[in-house]
Amino acid sequence: MKPEFTALTIVAIVVFGTIAFAVTAVRRFRMDPHEYIVGSRSFGALLLWILLAGEIYTSFTFLGAAGWAYGKGAPSFYILAYGTIAYTIGYFYLPSIWRIGKERGLLTWPDLLIDRYGSRALGVAVAILQFLTTVPYVTLQLTGLQILLTIAGYGRYNATIAVSAAFILIALFVFTTGLRGAAWASVVKDSLVLLAVLFAGIYLPLHFFGSAGAMFARVTEHHPHWLSLAPATSNYGTVWYVSTVLLTSVGFFMGPANAQSIYSAKSEQTVRRNMMLMPLYQLIIIFILLAGFTALAVIPGLKGTQADQSFVLLLQRYFPSWLLGLVAGAGCLAALLPASVLLLGAASIFSKNVLTDWFGVATTDRSRLLWTRTLVLICAVLALVLWIFAKTSLVDLLLFYYNGITQLAPGILLALVWRRVSAWAVGSGLLAGELIAVYSLHRSVGPWGINPGFIALTVNLAVCVCVTLLFPRRELFIKTPVPEM
Amino acid sequence: MTRNTRGMTVLRVFLAAVPCFMLSFAVALVNRDQPRIFGLPFIMAWIVLWVALTPIFLFAVERLRPKA
Repeated sequence: MKPEFTALTIVAIVVFGTIAFAVTAVRRFRMDPHEYIVGSRSFGALLLWILLAGEIYTSFTFLGAAGWAYGKGAPSFYILAYGTIAYTIGYFYLPSIWRIGKERGLLTWPDLLIDRYGSRALGVAVAILQFLTTVPYVTLQLTGLQILLTIAGYGRYNATIAVSAAFILIALFVFTTGLRGAAWASVVKDSLVLLAVLFAGIYLPLHFFGSAGAMFARVTEHHPHWLSLAPATSNYGTVWYVSTVLLTSVGFFMGPANAQSIYSAKSEQTVRRNMMLMPLYQLIIIFILLAGFTALAVIPGLKGTQADQSFVLLLQRYFPSWLLGLVAGAGCLAALLPASVLLLGAASIFSKNVLTDWFGVATTDRSRLLWTRTLVLICAVLALVLWIFAKTSLVDLLLFYYNGITQLAPGILLALVWRRVSAWAVGSGLLAGELIAVYSLHRSVGPWGINPGFIALTVNLAVCVCVTLLFPRRELFIKTPVPEM
Repeated sequence: MTRNTRGMTVLRVFLAAVPCFMLSFAVALVNRDQPRIFGLPFIMAWIVLWVALTPIFLFAVERLRPKA
């Protein structure tokens, strides 16, 4: 039997099987916007953990992390650190955000901003921004899918067609099951990804070199400075590392789907428990990094964006096709599911905050649901179009996404602690930050080695603070007091 | 006996800040390949260690949270 047939059949079984499982699991729930978007706020700690973990472990973690280990070396360690810091600071501010969300019936980040700052214009602007930044993120997952299917097909099939089909499938999946379906599908996905990653990180170094130590020894033979950061202000040096870790940990929960996930929790304590335990899940990233380094030691010579393929290419060349199929299947789920959750997030935000709140359409539960589903498809198609026309690297896409969404952080975090901040302050800060983020689109390293998104965030915060000090909000719009930490 | 909740908050924030510092700024200070720890480059072992220790710090922070 031809290897590509085996591999792709297994991928299909994995993907379709998961979808069938998830659709069955949610059959008994009635789909209204509250169920569809935030799972009726009833997810206990375990289901929430699965959802959060599922959202966070995506194509970037699966392929991109190994790709960075292969292509950059030590800078890839930031991936271990930033999530951990994000959970630590999230432990402090997310429970308060949950509580406000519950009290005020909030579903999205723009909802929170409108509630705290009283400006519909700000809410609409942020809603549009979140919808737009979702597109490159989804394209990122699509690119991951394309890589996996091409390699599982041993280069024999037109990946473009395969990706389009798979993608439409997942859009329909979200379309019918909402957030709870995605959480259940994540159960399957996380189990498979965990197995795949453990196999990759533990077995691969052992198989080729006898131990991780021996593998690293081989890496440094050919690349003596690979495993420590370049000094200070050089490209991807220590300054870059610190600024990037701070930037991405602050922006970690600011994405369109994250508000929904937090608000799906049953209680504040559920959120806290998750934050305490999630760092343990970060440890899995060690194994994917080990896989990337092993790939470097075994098949050096892949250049540029090809580095993203390194780990699966290693499997294709040295291991049987069924194994490749299983790992590729896991990777496909890792791409498809977060893409779905994000599509859902972006669509719900646009539907609620732009269409309903601003244009006054989609006011009944039923029409809102219909609009949300339509927007899922629209966003999905936009992402597909972007994929077809703009073939950039995984990293460029992710950086654009992160630089864009992190700019929300000052507005959201200050809302918890400082009553004088006005919508104008947040808006000006946001504008300044986004302008810088867009300007530095093609540079991953800014002046003095600082991450440009970090510069944008700092400027954003500075502008926001200055405007607040010069023009503090004169009257408190909101009667609900700001909660304690 | 009354609880000094302000002091408690400071302590909790400090405890949470320790792993954050170790995973960000401190990495610039321990940025070296050697000595290898269990075969891993030193900087990597450092980061892994502090990722693993974070839940412990957070459990401590949670235990110290004043329950109203």
